[in-house]
Amino acid sequence: MTTYTKKQVKDLVSGELDWDSLHQMLSMPKDKERYGQYIEVLQEQVSWNDRILLPLGPHLYIVESKDKSLITKCSCGHDFGDYRQNWKLNALVYVRDSEEKMNQVYPKLMAPHTDWQVYREYYCPTCGTMHDVEAPTPWYPVIHDFQPDLKAFFDWLDMPAPVNA
Amino acid sequence: MNQLSNPVEVMGIDAGGTMTDTFFVRADGEFVVGKAQSNVNESQAVLESSADALSHWGRSVEDVFPEMVTCVFSGTAMLNRVVGRKGLRTGLIVSKGFEDFHRMGRAIQSYLGYAFEDRIHLNTHRYDQPLVEIKDTRGVTERIDSRGNVVIPVRLHEAREAARELIEQGCKAIVISLLSSYLNGKHEREVRDVCKEVAREMGVEIPVFASVDYYPVRKESHRTNTTVLEAYAAEPSRATLGTISDSMKEVGGKFDLRVMASHGGTISWKAKELARSLVSGPIGGVIGAKFLGERLGYENIACSDIGGTSFDMALITKNNFAMHQDGDMARLVLSLPLVSMDTIGAGAGSFVRIDPYTNSIKLGPDSAGYRVGTCWPDGGVDTVSVTDCHIILGYLNPDNFLGGILNLDVERARQSIKTQVADPLGLSVEDAAAGVIELLDLSLRQHLRAMITGKGYSPRDFVCFSYGGGGPVHAYGYTKGLGFKETIVPAWAAGFSAFGCATADFEYRYDKSVDIGITHESSETEVQAAINTLQSAWNELREKVLEEFRINGFSDDEVTLTPGYRMQYLGQLNDLEIDSPLASVSSADNWDDLIKAFDDTYARVYASAARSPELGFGITGAILRGSVETKKPNIPEEPDAGPKPAPESSLGSRPFYYEKKWVDAKLYKMELLKPGNEIKGPAVIESDATTFVVPPGFETFLDVNRLFHLIEC
Repeated sequence: MTTYTKKQVKDLVSGELDWDSLHQMLSMPKDKERYGQYIEVLQEQVSWNDRILLPLGPHLYIVESKDKSLITKCSCGHDFGDYRQNWKLNALVYVRDSEEKMNQVYPKLMAPHTDWQVYREYYCPTCGTMHDVEAPTPWYPVIHDFQPDLKAFFDWLDMPAPVNA
Repeated sequence: MNQLSNPVEVMGIDAGGTMTDTFFVRADGEFVVGKAQSNVNESQAVLESSADALSHWGRSVEDVFPEMVTCVFSGTAMLNRVVGRKGLRTGLIVSKGFEDFHRMGRAIQSYLGYAFEDRIHLNTHRYDQPLVEIKDTRGVTERIDSRGNVVIPVRLHEAREAARELIEQGCKAIVISLLSSYLNGKHEREVRDVCKEVAREMGVEIPVFASVDYYPVRKESHRTNTTVLEAYAAEPSRATLGTISDSMKEVGGKFDLRVMASHGGTISWKAKELARSLVSGPIGGVIGAKFLGERLGYENIACSDIGGTSFDMALITKNNFAMHQDGDMARLVLSLPLVSMDTIGAGAGSFVRIDPYTNSIKLGPDSAGYRVGTCWPDGGVDTVSVTDCHIILGYLNPDNFLGGILNLDVERARQSIKTQVADPLGLSVEDAAAGVIELLDLSLRQHLRAMITGKGYSPRDFVCFSYGGGGPVHAYGYTKGLGFKETIVPAWAAGFSAFGCATADFEYRYDKSVDIGITHESSETEVQAAINTLQSAWNELREKVLEEFRINGFSDDEVTLTPGYRMQYLGQLNDLEIDSPLASVSSADNWDDLIKAFDDTYARVYASAARSPELGFGITGAILRGSVETKKPNIPEEPDAGPKPAPESSLGSRPFYYEKKWVDAKLYKMELLKPGNEIKGPAVIESDATTFVVPPGFETFLDVNRLFHLIEC
C-alpha cells in the first residue's frame, strides 16, 4: 500500500508534483489517507475555520459552517448559500454574447457565433475570483454542475457524515 | 593449461547504469565474469571490471588484452542520455508548415512503455519533452509529393537563413527531415549542402544529418526521431566509445571495439548509424540463444530473460528470430529494425502491494531495481519486493546475495511482509510470500504461453532458455505445466546477454522503403519495373554497407552481402522480412522466386492455409545486410564426471518453503558442479550472480556444455 507525504499532496494541489509521483498516484489504488491529507492542505490555504467537506473548484468549497449548516463558500469567505442550491445564482455573471466580446478572448473568426453559443463567466461578488465558465446556447438555463450525495460520500470514506448531510 | 595455447579471445561488456559487467572467454570455452561499479569515467569502469574478471584466472589486463581478438560493447549510457534529455543541442529543419510535428509526436508516444492499465487510461498518458525544442526548429519552403515528384522547388535561401540562425542560437548539430524525402532525396541533400556551407562560412564545425542519408524510410515521425537521435544521442556516445577504445589500445588491445545494435548484429563505434546501438542489452540474450541453438541442435527456442525490473521474451523458430521494422525505444517511435521481443514490467525486484479495495496482491509495475527490497536496509526501500519474499522462504541466500556484496536483513524483510502483505490478507508470512511468488510465476507463465500460442505454435515444439539474473530462480515456476520439450538454464545465465553480444556477427544492415504492388493482372512490363526498383534500391544500400566496412579497413570482397525484402499480401497490414533467394534480380522471371520465398516463410510463421496469393504481392522495403567473419566464443565442453556431485560442491542445506511446507533443500556451489551431475529437488544451486532453484518434484542435470536441464518429474 503506497502512502504519500503531506508535502506531496500539497504539491499535487498546487500542480507542482513531479510527474513520476503523479503517475504513481494515478496508477495505484487510492490511499486511505488521501481525503484527510487533501482536506488538511485545502484548509491551510483559507483564512476561515469552517470545515471543508469537498472542493468544487480551485477556490470553491462545500463547508460545514459553525451552525452546522452546509454551504458553498469561496476561499475569500463569501457565502454562496445552501450547498443544494446552485451557487451560480448568487454569483456575478458576465455573458459574452457579441463578436466584440468574443474577440477579447479568441482570435478573430476563431470563436463560435454568439447566436449559437455564448460564454457565461461566474465571479465571486466579494473577491472577483472567476469560479466557472459555461458555454451553452443563449437560451439555456443556468447549469447546475454538481449536486453531491454527501451522506453516500462519507459512508464510502468510512467516516461519520456531517449532521445535516 | 598453458596460457599461450589457450588464450583469452573474446570479451563482452555490458555497461549498465549501476554495474559494468565484463565477460571473458578463453579458447577452450572457459569463461569468467567481472563486475565493477559504473562511474562517470566509463573506460575506467570497463578496465576495473576487466581486472576483476581476469583476477579469477590470476592474470592482468596488460597481459590479456594483447591476445584478444574481439570485443563487443553494450551499454545503457546512450539510452539514459535520451531518457534524461541530456543530449547534444540539435537544430531541426523541416518542410515549412510542419514545424510542430516533432513536438506534437505520435499519439502512441504518450503511452509507449507503460503498463497495460496506464495505456488504457487517458489520464496517465503524457507526452515527453521533445528532443528538439520548437525554438530550435525551422521550416523551409519546399514540397515533394507522395510519389516523389517535386511540387514546390526548395527555397535554398530560406535554408541558408535557417542554418545561420540555428548555429547562432548555439545548436551543436543540424538535422534535416523533409516530407517524402525517402522517395526523392534531392531537396534534403541540397539543404544539407547549404547547411555545411553556412557552417564553413561561419567558421564552426558541426555535423549535419539529412534523414535520406541515414534512414530513407517512410513515416515522418519515425524517420525524424531516428535521425535526431543520431545527432542528439549518438554523437556524444561516439566520443565516449572512442575514449574506451583508446584506453584499451593503451593496455595493448589490438582489436576493433564493436557495439551491439538493435538489428542483432554488431557495428563499429565508428559506424555512421550509431543510434542503432541505443538499446542492445536484452537483444544479446536472443542472439546468444540462437548461437547456442545452432551449435547444439535446438532449432526452436523460447528465450526468457528475467532481470530485476522486466521479463523479456523472444521466439526463435527454425534458427531465425523475427524482426520488428519500426522498433520503439525510450518512448519514441523509430525507424530502426529491432529484434522482436515482448516485454512485461514484472521482474525479480517488482514491488508488492495490496489493493485496499479488492484485497488482492498487486505486482509492479515499478520495482526496487538495484535497491533490492526491504531486506537491504541501506537501499532505502520501504515497500516489499519479490526479492524479499524469496529471501524469507529460503530461495535466496541472504549472506551471498550478489556474491555477498550486500548485507541483507532477513528479519526486516519478514516484518515488512507481515505488516504490508500477510496481516491485511490474514495469512501467515510464509503463505503470503509464497502467494506473491506464485502470482508472479503465473503471470509470467501466461505471458509466455500467450506469446507462443498467439503465433500458432505449441510449447511442445520449443526448448525454453532461461537466463538473466532472475531466470534460474523462476525457471521452474513459469515453465511448470506448459509442456516445453526442455527447460535449459546456462550456468552463465547472469552473463548470458554479454555472452550473446560476443556471439553476434559484425554486420551492418541498411533499409530503404519501396512501393511495389503486383497482382496476377499486372503486365510483364510492370513486373520488370518492380524488379528494377528493387535492384536499384539494393544497389544504393550496397554502396552504404560497403562504405561502413571500408571505414573499418575491410575491402569489398571480404564482405558477405545478404539482400532481403519485406513482402506482404496486398491489402494486409503486416509484412514479413525475407532473405532474398537470389543475390541479385534482373528479369521479370525472378519475381516468381521472390514470391515463393515469401509464401514459404508465411506458411512457416503463420499457417499454410492462411496464405493468400490471390490478393497479389507487395514489397514495402528493401534490406541489405553485409557481414564479415569474426571470432566467436567457443562453447565450453567438459568431460562427463558421472551423476554424483563431488563432495566439495555441497554447501549443506537450508530450510525451503514450497507448497505450504518447510523442506530441507540441499545447497550446491554452481561452479563446482561437474557435467553429468544429477540433482533432485529440493535443491538450491548457488553462484555469485545467480541462484538456480530446483523445488521438490523437479530434477536437473548439468550437460557437457555446462547447461542445466530442468526436468519436471
